[in-house]
Amino acid sequence: MALSKEDFNKLAVLSRLRFSDEEAEKFRNEMDDIIAFADTINNAVSGGTDDIKNTSIDAVGFRELREDEVRESLPNEKILSNVEGHKGFFNVRRCVG
Amino acid sequence: MKELLTTLSTKLKNREISSVELTNEYIKAIEAENEKINAYVHTTFDYAIECAKRADDMLKAGDASPLCGIPMALKDNICSDGHLTTCCSKILDGFRPYYDSTVWTKLKREGAVLLGKNNMDEFAMGSTSESSCYGAPKNPRNTAHVTGGSSGGGAAAVAANMAAYTLGSDTGGSIRQPASYCGVVGLKPTYGAVSRYGLIAYGSSLDQIGPITNSVRDASLVFDAIKGVDINDQTSVDHEYGNITSQLTGDIKGLKIGVAEEYFEGIDKETKESVERALAFYEANGAELVSVKLPILKDSLPVYYIIACAEASSNLGRYDGIRYGYRAGDYTDIDDMIYKTRSEGFGKEVQHRIILGTYVLSSGYYDAYYKKACLLRNDIIRKFDEVFDVCDVLIAPNAPTTAPTLGYSSKSAVEMYMSDICTVPVNIAGLPGISIPCGKDKDGMPIGMQILGRKFAEKTILNTAYFYELNNKNVIGEYEGGVNL
Repeated sequence: MALSKEDFNKLAVLSRLRFSDEEAEKFRNEMDDIIAFADTINNAVSGGTDDIKNTSIDAVGFRELREDEVRESLPNEKILSNVEGHKGFFNVRRCVG
Repeated sequence: MKELLTTLSTKLKNREISSVELTNEYIKAIEAENEKINAYVHTTFDYAIECAKRADDMLKAGDASPLCGIPMALKDNICSDGHLTTCCSKILDGFRPYYDSTVWTKLKREGAVLLGKNNMDEFAMGSTSESSCYGAPKNPRNTAHVTGGSSGGGAAAVAANMAAYTLGSDTGGSIRQPASYCGVVGLKPTYGAVSRYGLIAYGSSLDQIGPITNSVRDASLVFDAIKGVDINDQTSVDHEYGNITSQLTGDIKGLKIGVAEEYFEGIDKETKESVERALAFYEANGAELVSVKLPILKDSLPVYYIIACAEASSNLGRYDGIRYGYRAGDYTDIDDMIYKTRSEGFGKEVQHRIILGTYVLSSGYYDAYYKKACLLRNDIIRKFDEVFDVCDVLIAPNAPTTAPTLGYSSKSAVEMYMSDICTVPVNIAGLPGISIPCGKDKDGMPIGMQILGRKFAEKTILNTAYFYELNNKNVIGEYEGGVNL
């Protein structure tokens, strides 16, 4: 199933990515091949009829969740160490009026 | 294949060489070779010497582990406190993690020496390491060829004697396939066997950290050191393995080896024949070959790409230019900043996988793709379970061909995905697999085979591989360069 230009643009917004018109057209065509490849699961050898909830248990094998207890956290100074010139916070440009 | 870690450990313990001296040898080798091989994207030489001095103290104290004082490297997606870790992506430009991954915490405790971070495909998305923002690493066996990926730099570093061992991550074959292309050993442990705390996430239900080494015994030594449950990784499992290395015997009498013809379909003739020769060798030495059916293998590839891209689109949502890494320089408001940061920071392959993942998770397509893929995943798991009811291990090729020449990633996306056909099924099922060299093609490029087992059967697959290694020395031959040991 071909991906419309409109749908592609929606996906780009959801992904917070921008493409030039040329890039978008090129990738949209490539997506058609990839989607056709993904579509092959609908002709799968096996039906895959079990409840989806079982999947994470089978494949991932979650243990019991740990107790919800407060544990020691990293100090702010460390967490902010990748932010240049911070004043104790993550800095962004003003986004409310 | 040389049992490098044991040799080095003996030399260090006998004080024939100090860890600082050994580390300096590796530093010299990296300085001499890296321009050609591009295995390292960040080096931590000052820190390595600090680690080595600490290791020498531990060695003097006399209670050192087998990895104490031995220089190694981490893939560029495994965090160590204060050292550049960038996933070979512009979006993590300059990122220095503020904590240690659990695997590095464990190795550091044993006295390991960190030389730096290895080249890889951007965010581990690729099969050639060519999507690295630092340029592709080159295959030490022939630098016109790719190393494979995504842990290509780590495999190249081991093959070129630029690290005694490295840690990689395997989401769909990213340890085993580059190990195979570079003629070294790569172990992808059972899902949950090794903590992923501090591994920068790609596909969280698939990712697993494992060693790349010169020999099977070396892989076992490193696995013994990094395995185990971890409170910081909820998916890690408390499994009682014991010390596996001390249990390696190389005895395969009565071992049942499953052979699924589906794994051999579409495989290059030389690769196929090489793996078949290895199978005959096992049979001649007391193993029993059992023919098994795995028709579901062909479904694994689309299932893998749907699940991996869906998880990636979610995991990579965190890169917004606010908390770490790259931030676009010129923007009008916060939305514009996030769009520009992501569009300028992520490479094309990563952007494509985010879009694809967003597509399969979006309303209207979720049931047809993501949900369907998860359901099929259950079936794939069950089929493997059934196969392991009648055999102890499966042996299969690692990749359809040997390492292609550089520029391979310019092929279409689907063609590229097809090259992962042999490796992705065990990631979907969470099973362990090891890749070991089993021959060379007419151009001298390494051929690898993989040995797969049921969950937590690392001892069985390592022992099966160990048998082959004991009886087939120097399958690939020595690399002329790097540290001379």
